[in-house]
Amino acid sequence: MEEQSCFRQRFCEIKWGELSLVSLYLSVLTGIIVALQYAVETPFFSSSGMDILVPFGLFWRSLHFYSSQGFFVFMLIHFLAVLMDQSYLRLSIAKWIPLVASIPFALLLLFSGYVLRADATGEMAGLIAENICLSVPVVGDVLNDLLFAVSVEGMKRVYANHIIGFLVIWGILCWDHVRKYRAHIREHGLLLCFFFMLALILDAPMELTVLSASHIPGPWFFLGLQELLMYIQPFWSGVVFPLSFLGGLLLLRSQNRLGRVAAVYSVCWLGFYAILTVIGLCR
Amino acid sequence: MCECEKKTGRRSFFLSGWGFIKLGAALSFFYPVFKFVKFYIPPKPRFVKIEKNLLVGDVHLDPDFVLFVEKDKSWAVSRKCTHLGCRLNFSEETRHLICPCHHSQFTTEGVRVAGPAKDNLTMYPVEPLAENKGFMVTL
Repeated sequence: MEEQSCFRQRFCEIKWGELSLVSLYLSVLTGIIVALQYAVETPFFSSSGMDILVPFGLFWRSLHFYSSQGFFVFMLIHFLAVLMDQSYLRLSIAKWIPLVASIPFALLLLFSGYVLRADATGEMAGLIAENICLSVPVVGDVLNDLLFAVSVEGMKRVYANHIIGFLVIWGILCWDHVRKYRAHIREHGLLLCFFFMLALILDAPMELTVLSASHIPGPWFFLGLQELLMYIQPFWSGVVFPLSFLGGLLLLRSQNRLGRVAAVYSVCWLGFYAILTVIGLCR
Repeated sequence: MCECEKKTGRRSFFLSGWGFIKLGAALSFFYPVFKFVKFYIPPKPRFVKIEKNLLVGDVHLDPDFVLFVEKDKSWAVSRKCTHLGCRLNFSEETRHLICPCHHSQFTTEGVRVAGPAKDNLTMYPVEPLAENKGFMVTL
């Protein structure tokens, strides 16, 4: 029991938020480099050409890929640590709401990177996201026009959102929280070395289209949703189900029965999503 | 009611009215934004020429459609899944078009047979080229 609480304390003491922020810095820097070779009109050609033809192209793309993954994963762990040590209760509701609302934008930032690659996974992911948007009653069209519109406009709007839109909205939502903390890149040499080594050893994925492929898995965080989309209508599985988790997180802050119900719901949601992800991985 | 109360009431009425006008002006700013974003220049009809000598029973896979050639007729069906728009693949084994994302299945005529998709696939007009030099598909 004592060991458990000691582990918990040590886990919560790690500055996960800082690690996430430093990963984001690296992701933005490498993103600028990658963008110099990326062509919106020929997305797959330019991203695969970057891997094969451009000197250090694969390295820079891999570094961008892994640092972006790092940003998102560390952000999720940061959230978990904050929930575990209950430090989120110190935040006012007005500060808690934008932070929870920033999660989907961080996810979209990562997701749009997959789409922009325009390989087998990216192309399908973009089309699915577009159709999920369109399934939203009344505002679906507008939402799709603002976020994706892949089938009509190609990667144009996704690219604009990836390099500016999502990042700016995420920044606005997190600004009040992030501005209090100083995350210096020089203090995280080990993390930077880790990303550099990872990018050198492991190439960022690029899935070629196979005409006879009977299954194309989506990004790792999308697998559960992909599974659910097979059984339930897109609006319920792709919009209401994920939003209900965000709703649960928002209500966590209230210190009454509703907060406890929200906590149980959020944990159950995560468990269910993990099961779906495992099923998706086994396909 | 005294004169000053009347004036105050009138003033607050105009002030709240002015607030609504400002709100309306702000909202009306979004109208042209949405109208602008929403408009798509209609694409030109696209003619895809397949200059290949396809034999009876052959299947040709294009990024946007699958062309089937039979003895009496040839036809093309869209490769866009009617569930969530993924690109369908053709299974030689089952002679079905299969969605690699959520596993909907369609016959070669584009009729939905399994999976979460509800609608059938779009069919495209096909015309044989002169001297049996191939086919023209209109998208």
